Amino acid sequence: MHLVKTLVLGLGNPILMDDGVGLKVVRALKPRVVDPQVTFHESSRGGLNLLDVLVGYDRAIIVDAIQTRDGTAGDVYHLKSDDFESCLHVSCVHDVDFATTLELGRKMGLQLPRDIAIVAVEVQDVTTFGEECTPVVQLAISTAVDMVLQELESVGCAG
Amino acid sequence: MKKISIDPITRLEGHGRIDIFLDEEGNVANAYLVVPELRGFEKFAEGRPVEEMPRITPRICGVCPEAHHMASAKACDAVYHVEVPPTGKKLREILYSAFYVADHTVHFYILAAPDFVLGPDAPPAERNILGLIHKVGLEIGGKVISSRGKAMDIVGMLGGKTIHPVGALPGGVSKAIDEEERAQIEEWGHALIEFGQFGLQLFHDVVLANKTYLDMILSDTFTTPMYYMGLVDENNKVNFYDGKVRVVDPEGNEFVKYAPEEYLDVIAEHVEPWTYLKFPYLKKVGWKGFVTGKDSGVYQATPLSRLNAADGMATPLAQEAYEHFYDTMGGKPVHGTLATHWARLIELLYAAEHIVELATDPDITNPHVRNIPTETPDEGVGIVEAPRGTLTHHYITDEKGIVQKCNLIVGTTNNYAPMSISIKKAAQAFIKKGQIISEGLLNRVEMAFRSYDPCLGCATHTLPGQMPLEVIIRDCEGDEIERLSWNM
Repeated sequence: MHLVKTLVLGLGNPILMDDGVGLKVVRALKPRVVDPQVTFHESSRGGLNLLDVLVGYDRAIIVDAIQTRDGTAGDVYHLKSDDFESCLHVSCVHDVDFATTLELGRKMGLQLPRDIAIVAVEVQDVTTFGEECTPVVQLAISTAVDMVLQELESVGCAG
Repeated sequence: MKKISIDPITRLEGHGRIDIFLDEEGNVANAYLVVPELRGFEKFAEGRPVEEMPRITPRICGVCPEAHHMASAKACDAVYHVEVPPTGKKLREILYSAFYVADHTVHFYILAAPDFVLGPDAPPAERNILGLIHKVGLEIGGKVISSRGKAMDIVGMLGGKTIHPVGALPGGVSKAIDEEERAQIEEWGHALIEFGQFGLQLFHDVVLANKTYLDMILSDTFTTPMYYMGLVDENNKVNFYDGKVRVVDPEGNEFVKYAPEEYLDVIAEHVEPWTYLKFPYLKKVGWKGFVTGKDSGVYQATPLSRLNAADGMATPLAQEAYEHFYDTMGGKPVHGTLATHWARLIELLYAAEHIVELATDPDITNPHVRNIPTETPDEGVGIVEAPRGTLTHHYITDEKGIVQKCNLIVGTTNNYAPMSISIKKAAQAFIKKGQIISEGLLNRVEMAFRSYDPCLGCATHTLPGQMPLEVIIRDCEGDEIERLSWNM
């Protein structure tokens, strides 16, 4: 029987305050999940670098920072990769955006997760160097952790 | 679960905004690229042990952490007055060359090539790597993925398989390589040389063979003569990792050649009221505003400027490509901004050749890769060529090696003024006497600054992660008359 492999991937810059919230969520989750089919990973890089990390998994939960129009810092969203279709096929600063990365990888025949969930935390300050999040985003970490645990539970991963 | 409607915006207010100011006749008077600044790095670094800097500074940037890692390690070597053993230096150079291959690959195939292969006026929805694959074939995607993968595997092998490289330490590197690893690097290196040649052939077939593109590269719209900066070895050949920084004037004559510790004698930084960013310029020429030419201290630091500032490439195939480049473009120096893409491909080939050259060096498996620092630390400057320009790290420590002061001039910073100038020139072709041809304006403006591959705020992964661009056109009173945007 093929065991379903799940990746929980935290994205962010650990020295740009709220930007690193995804990494903090993943660090908080790690000791709470014992299922050997769940792997935790942190990355500060985007674009094609994400392919290197995602290859070989059946399912992925990505935790990242987000800024939305009129968003409230500290809000946590649960998204599916389809929610970013609007971002597909657009140019980006140095690399491809997430949706394009996935499509490119699939076209190349790479084994990529067929099911991707995104837990995103609305952030406040991502332009000041610092290792701590702003207080309001710090408070949102436990909400994001619970959301990931719920997501894992819903797909049958053992906590 | 409740459906939440989201509307992701740019990660930073003002990210990638361009202000174009018109004069009384309705022609372009000025254009500025407004870039947000990341704040407080100096304060963040102060009080930390300097040997932590090569592990901390790569975090500044999610795009070129290897460049910060190397500049920082070199600054630490200088702070501790320690010489890196020859094999340690060569291993750093292999890692750095592999990083160059990966980085230039992503820039050319993901960002630049679609503009040429699909055409500058193709809709943005098609002008990307997927459109490229659709037009050229799936095979090209495979080459890009596998070559970048090999290059990053070399980086991982030498830098430590972590998010960011940690292999370089003050005085050398943390680990030697064995024969098996050496042979693997050599094998991958040969594949990367082949990939480098493929890129130049593609450029030749798709871009140079198309008169419209060649004319565009040579056109006045994309021509900005200025001073050119780049690191060179003792033979004045392009070097990414070590040597002296050479600057040539717009006619190609050497203006200055300086050692890293002399950078403050050569470079000064101009401040404008509308941005927190500083604009570096050549001190001895002076800041004359956003203008180019011999009397303006504005210089660029890009793949093109590195080729212009050098007398050639240090490897045979890249040297051949270098000569072909200048023959085709009508001699040195080349002023065409779009030729930067060609220069980038020549650098990619050089980097690949350099990997093989170093991997076949008889000394490369020597286990002596680090000299342990014994001197009292004080002050040091480290310079490397980042893919996006000359990168300078300068640290001052107390006698225990605790950072007291830190100053960085990052690659893109060198190019803030040239980018604004190139944008202005591109805009001039599309805005005449108050008539704005908005159709071609955004594409051409984007092509003008994209050739510099600017790093607009260093942590680029925050969702949604795409490049937003907003152009605001203002009349001579400063009032907004038109706003054009993409991906906002």
